[in-house]
Amino acid sequence: MARSPTTSDVFNAIAEARRREILDALTAGEKAAGTIVAGLSLSQPQVSKHLRVLSEVGLVQCRAPGRHRLHSPEPARLRPLHEWLARYEQIWNERLDRMDDYLKELQNRESSSDT
Amino acid sequence: MTPSRHGSAHIEFPNELDVLITREFDAPIALVFDVLTKPEHVSKWGATPPDQMTECSIDLRVGGTYHHVFVADDGTECSFRGTYLDVEPPTRTAETWLFDGWPDTEAVETMQLHETDGVTTLTMRLAFRDKAGRDHMTRFDGQQDSFDAMEDILRSLLDLKGTSPS
Repeated sequence: MARSPTTSDVFNAIAEARRREILDALTAGEKAAGTIVAGLSLSQPQVSKHLRVLSEVGLVQCRAPGRHRLHSPEPARLRPLHEWLARYEQIWNERLDRMDDYLKELQNRESSSDT
Repeated sequence: MTPSRHGSAHIEFPNELDVLITREFDAPIALVFDVLTKPEHVSKWGATPPDQMTECSIDLRVGGTYHHVFVADDGTECSFRGTYLDVEPPTRTAETWLFDGWPDTEAVETMQLHETDGVTTLTMRLAFRDKAGRDHMTRFDGQQDSFDAMEDILRSLLDLKGTSPS
């Protein structure tokens, strides 16, 4: 079955807890890989690998002004995901709200037949 | 009169295989359990209008099966079926979950209820057997969405990948 590789899908890219930690670390500001390594309990190769995945889906941008490559988050790339999640949440909410209304209706019926 | 809880469902993707949904209801646990597991109730709230639920059979015992069929406005049908693995009224059921739109996908759905001070919390966990299965769920949700809405979501994912056809 055809399915996208991890690196082409924002959702999969952030499904990995370590990559979310790295993104969180970057929201405080642009950082070199070494600084991320120091802040998290990850090895340099692990951080590099995760940064590569994040930049391949466009969630992280790199620039190399001097000796070190600096990484910064690209939150705009999360927007479709945010919109998708909002929609998903809406679908589930509509369903469970209908169940809620139905429960209320049943309870009202019960309490009015008690009197 | 208690304030409305509309819009309060909480959805999480705790790992690569699971979808977790939590929602509170101002109703006793026994009633919430019945509304979730008795066909005469499920058929009343299960479909998203204008979709209709044309079949709702539930044989609530271990080894028993359920089958839910929905028909959209344009006549498109979709159905869900599965077998109960665990039935413990009024706190828990576990059942296999098969959607005819995703024939390669198997999941186990667990519904857990608990009541505190007249408020019943429903926790639904959909655990996919493999990541390809949950990836379906994260692409679009066929359970109560119309096929049009699925297409919109697919389109927005295509946009995300920078391959928008428009």
